Amino acid sequence: MANINGCELPEDLYYLIEKHVWAKPLDGNIIRIGMTSVAAKLSGGSLNAVTVSNRKIGKELAQGKSVATVESSKFVGPVPAPISGTLLRGNDNVIDDPSLAISDPYGEGWIAEMEATDWDSEKGSLATGSDGLDTYRKAIEEAGISCK
Amino acid sequence: MDEDKVMIVMTSGTDTPRRCATPFFMATIAAAMDYEVAMFFTIDGTQLLKKGVADTVFPKEGGKAVGDYLRDAMEAGVKFYACTASTELHDLTAADLIDGVEMVGGATFWEMADETGKLVTF
Repeated sequence: MANINGCELPEDLYYLIEKHVWAKPLDGNIIRIGMTSVAAKLSGGSLNAVTVSNRKIGKELAQGKSVATVESSKFVGPVPAPISGTLLRGNDNVIDDPSLAISDPYGEGWIAEMEATDWDSEKGSLATGSDGLDTYRKAIEEAGISCK
Repeated sequence: MDEDKVMIVMTSGTDTPRRCATPFFMATIAAAMDYEVAMFFTIDGTQLLKKGVADTVFPKEGGKAVGDYLRDAMEAGVKFYACTASTELHDLTAADLIDGVEMVGGATFWEMADETGKLVTF
Protein backbone atom coordinates (compact mmCIF):
# COMPACT_ATOMS: atom_id res chain seq x y z
CA MET A 1 0.00 0.00 0.00
CA ALA A 2 1.47 3.33 -1.10
CA ASN A 3 0.79 6.48 0.86
CA ILE A 4 0.83 9.66 -1.24
CA ASN A 5 0.14 12.87 0.68
CA GLY A 6 -1.88 10.76 3.10
CA CYS A 7 -3.86 9.07 0.32
CA GLU A 8 -3.58 5.28 0.53
CA LEU A 9 -3.31 3.52 -2.83
CA PRO A 10 -2.77 -0.25 -3.19
CA GLU A 11 -0.18 -1.21 -5.80
CA ASP A 12 -2.11 -4.19 -7.15
CA LEU A 13 -5.12 -2.21 -8.44
CA TYR A 14 -5.55 -0.60 -11.86
CA TYR A 15 -6.32 3.13 -11.79
CA LEU A 16 -8.03 5.52 -14.18
CA ILE A 17 -6.14 8.38 -12.60
CA GLU A 18 -8.02 11.39 -13.94
CA LYS A 19 -11.32 9.93 -12.67
CA HIS A 20 -9.93 8.61 -9.35
CA VAL A 21 -11.43 5.15 -9.78
CA TRP A 22 -9.87 1.71 -9.53
CA ALA A 23 -10.41 -1.66 -11.18
CA LYS A 24 -9.57 -5.08 -9.82
CA PRO A 25 -9.85 -8.19 -12.00
CA LEU A 26 -11.70 -11.08 -10.35
CA ASP A 27 -12.38 -14.50 -11.84
CA GLY A 28 -14.05 -14.97 -15.21
CA ASN A 29 -13.49 -11.55 -16.78
CA ILE A 30 -15.33 -9.87 -13.90
CA ILE A 31 -13.89 -6.53 -12.81
CA ARG A 32 -14.66 -4.98 -9.45
CA ILE A 33 -14.54 -1.17 -9.43
CA GLY A 34 -14.51 1.54 -6.81
CA MET A 35 -13.43 5.03 -5.80
CA THR A 36 -9.92 5.77 -4.62
CA SER A 37 -9.10 7.44 -1.32
CA VAL A 38 -8.38 10.53 -3.42
CA ALA A 39 -11.98 10.57 -4.65
CA ALA A 40 -13.11 10.11 -1.06
CA LYS A 41 -11.14 13.19 -0.09
CA LEU A 42 -12.43 15.24 -3.03
CA SER A 43 -16.00 14.33 -2.17
CA GLY A 44 -15.62 16.04 1.18
CA GLY A 45 -14.84 13.05 3.36
CA SER A 46 -18.41 11.88 3.90
CA LEU A 47 -21.17 10.68 1.61
CA ASN A 48 -24.93 10.91 1.91
CA ALA A 49 -25.66 8.52 -0.93
CA VAL A 50 -24.14 6.10 -3.40
CA THR A 51 -26.52 5.16 -6.18
CA VAL A 52 -25.85 2.63 -8.92
CA SER A 53 -27.93 3.36 -12.00
CA ASN A 54 -30.54 0.62 -12.37
CA ARG A 55 -31.15 1.65 -15.95
CA LYS A 56 -27.55 0.73 -16.74
CA ILE A 57 -27.48 -2.74 -15.16
CA GLY A 58 -26.99 -5.23 -17.98
CA LYS A 59 -25.89 -2.55 -20.44
CA GLU A 60 -22.49 -2.18 -22.04
CA LEU A 61 -20.78 1.04 -21.06
CA ALA A 62 -17.71 2.68 -22.52
CA GLN A 63 -14.72 3.54 -20.34
CA GLY A 64 -15.41 6.80 -18.52
CA LYS A 65 -19.20 6.49 -18.55
CA SER A 66 -20.99 6.85 -15.25
CA VAL A 67 -21.87 3.62 -13.39
CA ALA A 68 -22.93 5.31 -10.18
CA THR A 69 -23.32 8.68 -8.51
CA VAL A 70 -22.05 9.85 -5.15
CA GLU A 71 -23.56 12.67 -3.16
CA SER A 72 -22.29 14.60 -0.18
CA SER A 73 -23.10 18.00 1.22
CA LYS A 74 -20.18 19.39 -0.78
CA PHE A 75 -20.10 17.28 -3.88
CA VAL A 76 -22.26 15.55 -6.46
CA GLY A 77 -20.58 13.52 -9.12
CA PRO A 78 -20.30 10.36 -11.13
CA VAL A 79 -18.29 7.23 -10.49
CA PRO A 80 -16.96 6.65 -14.01
CA ALA A 81 -16.24 3.18 -15.35
CA PRO A 82 -12.47 2.58 -15.38
CA ILE A 83 -12.93 0.13 -18.24
CA SER A 84 -15.47 -0.69 -20.94
CA GLY A 85 -17.86 -3.46 -20.09
CA THR A 86 -21.30 -4.60 -19.05
CA LEU A 87 -22.48 -3.34 -15.67
CA LEU A 88 -23.44 -6.42 -13.66
CA ARG A 89 -24.36 -5.18 -10.21
CA GLY A 90 -23.83 -2.57 -7.57
CA ASN A 91 -22.60 -3.25 -4.07
CA ASP A 92 -25.73 -3.35 -1.92
CA ASN A 93 -23.67 -2.83 1.22
CA VAL A 94 -22.28 0.51 0.06
CA ILE A 95 -25.68 1.57 -1.24
CA ASP A 96 -27.07 0.90 2.26
CA ASP A 97 -24.09 2.47 4.01
CA PRO A 98 -22.32 5.03 1.77
CA SER A 99 -19.70 5.70 4.46
CA LEU A 100 -18.05 2.38 3.49
CA ALA A 101 -16.81 4.02 0.27
CA ILE A 102 -14.87 6.43 2.47
CA SER A 103 -13.78 4.20 5.34
CA ASP A 104 -12.90 1.11 3.29
CA PRO A 105 -12.69 2.19 -0.38
CA TYR A 106 -10.75 -0.86 -1.55
CA GLY A 107 -12.59 -3.44 0.55
CA GLU A 108 -16.22 -3.37 1.68
CA GLY A 109 -16.69 0.01 -0.01
CA TRP A 110 -16.37 -1.20 -3.59
CA ILE A 111 -19.01 0.32 -5.87
CA ALA A 112 -19.91 -2.11 -8.67
CA GLU A 113 -18.85 -5.07 -10.78
CA MET A 114 -18.59 -5.17 -14.55
CA GLU A 115 -17.88 -7.82 -17.13
CA ALA A 116 -14.99 -6.44 -19.13
CA THR A 117 -15.37 -6.09 -22.88
CA ASP A 118 -11.64 -6.49 -23.55
CA TRP A 119 -9.68 -6.35 -20.32
CA ASP A 120 -6.42 -7.61 -21.80
CA SER A 121 -6.12 -4.74 -24.25
CA GLU A 122 -7.78 -2.06 -22.14
CA LYS A 123 -5.83 -2.61 -18.92
CA GLY A 124 -2.86 -1.00 -20.67
CA SER A 125 -4.70 2.33 -20.47
CA LEU A 126 -4.77 2.12 -16.67
CA ALA A 127 -2.02 2.89 -14.17
CA THR A 128 -0.83 0.05 -11.95
CA GLY A 129 2.16 -1.13 -9.92
CA SER A 130 4.95 1.12 -8.74
CA ASP A 131 5.24 2.87 -12.12
CA GLY A 132 1.54 3.57 -12.18
CA LEU A 133 1.60 4.93 -8.66
CA ASP A 134 4.48 7.22 -9.59
CA THR A 135 2.22 8.67 -12.28
CA TYR A 136 -0.62 8.95 -9.77
CA ARG A 137 1.75 10.64 -7.30
CA LYS A 138 2.58 13.32 -9.87
CA ALA A 139 -1.10 13.91 -10.59
CA ILE A 140 -1.90 14.22 -6.87
CA GLU A 141 0.97 16.62 -6.26
CA GLU A 142 0.21 18.74 -9.32
CA ALA A 143 -3.41 19.05 -8.20
CA GLY A 144 -2.32 19.91 -4.66
CA ILE A 145 -4.43 17.14 -3.14
CA SER A 146 -3.77 15.94 0.39
CA CYS A 147 -5.73 13.26 2.24
CA LYS A 148 -4.15 14.18 5.60
CA MET B 1 -38.80 11.32 -27.39
CA ASP B 2 -35.39 10.47 -25.99
CA GLU B 3 -35.34 8.60 -22.66
CA ASP B 4 -31.82 9.86 -22.03
CA LYS B 5 -32.98 13.49 -22.03
CA VAL B 6 -34.14 15.29 -18.89
CA MET B 7 -35.65 18.78 -18.76
CA ILE B 8 -35.96 20.84 -15.61
CA VAL B 9 -38.24 23.87 -15.69
CA MET B 10 -37.06 26.48 -13.18
CA THR B 11 -39.61 29.09 -12.12
CA SER B 12 -38.24 30.05 -8.67
CA GLY B 13 -36.15 33.19 -8.22
CA THR B 14 -34.71 35.64 -5.74
CA ASP B 15 -37.93 35.93 -3.69
CA THR B 16 -37.75 32.24 -2.73
CA PRO B 17 -34.11 31.35 -2.00
CA ARG B 18 -34.96 28.00 -0.39
CA ARG B 19 -36.46 26.82 -3.66
CA CYS B 20 -33.37 27.71 -5.67
CA ALA B 21 -30.71 25.10 -4.84
CA THR B 22 -32.46 21.77 -5.38
CA PRO B 23 -33.25 22.25 -9.09
CA PHE B 24 -29.54 22.81 -9.84
CA PHE B 25 -28.56 19.96 -7.51
CA MET B 26 -30.97 17.58 -9.25
CA ALA B 27 -29.70 18.72 -12.65
CA THR B 28 -26.11 18.03 -11.61
CA ILE B 29 -27.02 14.54 -10.38
CA ALA B 30 -28.85 13.76 -13.62
CA ALA B 31 -25.79 14.86 -15.61
CA ALA B 32 -23.61 12.63 -13.41
CA MET B 33 -25.94 9.77 -14.35
CA ASP B 34 -25.21 10.51 -18.02
CA TYR B 35 -28.58 12.05 -18.78
CA GLU B 36 -28.55 14.90 -21.27
CA VAL B 37 -29.90 17.68 -19.07
CA ALA B 38 -31.55 20.97 -20.01
CA MET B 39 -32.68 23.62 -17.53
CA PHE B 40 -35.35 25.93 -18.88
CA PHE B 41 -35.63 29.19 -16.91
CA THR B 42 -38.90 31.06 -16.97
CA ILE B 43 -41.11 33.29 -14.76
CA ASP B 44 -38.80 34.24 -11.80
CA GLY B 45 -36.19 31.58 -12.55
CA THR B 46 -34.63 33.85 -15.15
CA GLN B 47 -33.59 36.31 -12.41
CA LEU B 48 -30.91 33.82 -11.33
CA LEU B 49 -29.25 34.03 -14.72
CA LYS B 50 -28.50 37.74 -14.44
CA LYS B 51 -24.77 38.21 -13.94
CA GLY B 52 -23.88 38.23 -10.25
CA VAL B 53 -27.37 37.59 -8.91
CA ALA B 54 -27.06 33.87 -8.09
CA ASP B 55 -24.08 34.58 -5.85
CA THR B 56 -26.26 36.84 -3.69
CA VAL B 57 -28.96 34.23 -3.07
CA PHE B 58 -28.48 31.84 -0.16
CA PRO B 59 -30.94 28.95 0.37
CA LYS B 60 -29.50 28.45 3.84
CA GLU B 61 -27.87 31.10 6.00
CA GLY B 62 -24.15 30.44 6.09
CA GLY B 63 -24.41 27.80 3.36
CA LYS B 64 -23.53 27.67 -0.31
CA ALA B 65 -24.76 30.39 -2.62
CA VAL B 66 -27.08 29.46 -5.48
CA GLY B 67 -24.23 30.54 -7.75
CA ASP B 68 -22.18 27.60 -6.49
CA TYR B 69 -24.98 25.15 -7.31
CA LEU B 70 -25.42 26.82 -10.70
CA ARG B 71 -21.73 26.46 -11.57
CA ASP B 72 -21.73 22.82 -10.40
CA ALA B 73 -24.55 22.15 -12.88
CA MET B 74 -22.85 23.99 -15.74
CA GLU B 75 -19.56 22.19 -15.12
CA ALA B 76 -21.42 18.86 -15.13
CA GLY B 77 -22.66 19.68 -18.63
CA VAL B 78 -26.19 20.93 -17.97
CA LYS B 79 -27.44 23.23 -20.75
CA PHE B 80 -29.20 26.47 -19.75
CA TYR B 81 -32.07 28.04 -21.69
CA ALA B 82 -33.77 31.34 -20.85
CA CYS B 83 -37.32 32.09 -21.91
CA THR B 84 -37.30 35.36 -23.86
CA ALA B 85 -40.69 36.43 -22.48
CA SER B 86 -39.45 36.10 -18.91
CA THR B 87 -36.33 38.12 -19.66
CA GLU B 88 -38.65 40.90 -20.78
CA LEU B 89 -40.62 40.49 -17.55
CA HIS B 90 -37.45 41.27 -15.61
CA ASP B 91 -36.08 43.86 -18.08
CA LEU B 92 -33.12 41.68 -18.94
CA THR B 93 -31.26 41.54 -22.24
CA ALA B 94 -28.95 38.82 -23.52
CA ALA B 95 -25.98 40.95 -22.45
CA ASP B 96 -27.23 40.92 -18.84
CA LEU B 97 -27.11 37.12 -18.60
CA ILE B 98 -24.21 34.91 -17.55
CA ASP B 99 -22.22 33.19 -20.27
CA GLY B 100 -23.50 29.87 -21.53
CA VAL B 101 -27.20 30.69 -21.55
CA GLU B 102 -29.20 30.37 -24.75
CA MET B 103 -32.25 32.59 -25.12
CA VAL B 104 -35.21 30.78 -26.68
CA GLY B 105 -38.88 31.40 -27.33
CA GLY B 106 -41.98 29.65 -26.07
CA ALA B 107 -42.22 27.36 -29.08
CA THR B 108 -38.78 26.00 -28.26
CA PHE B 109 -40.12 25.08 -24.82
CA TRP B 110 -42.67 22.80 -26.44
CA GLU B 111 -40.17 21.36 -28.89
CA MET B 112 -37.86 20.53 -26.02
CA ALA B 113 -40.75 19.06 -24.02
CA ASP B 114 -41.66 16.88 -27.00
CA GLU B 115 -38.14 15.51 -27.20
CA THR B 116 -37.39 14.94 -23.54
CA GLY B 117 -37.96 11.66 -21.70
CA LYS B 118 -38.66 13.33 -18.36
CA LEU B 119 -39.79 16.85 -17.48
CA VAL B 120 -39.72 18.23 -13.94
CA THR B 121 -40.94 21.64 -12.81
CA PHE B 122 -39.61 23.59 -9.85
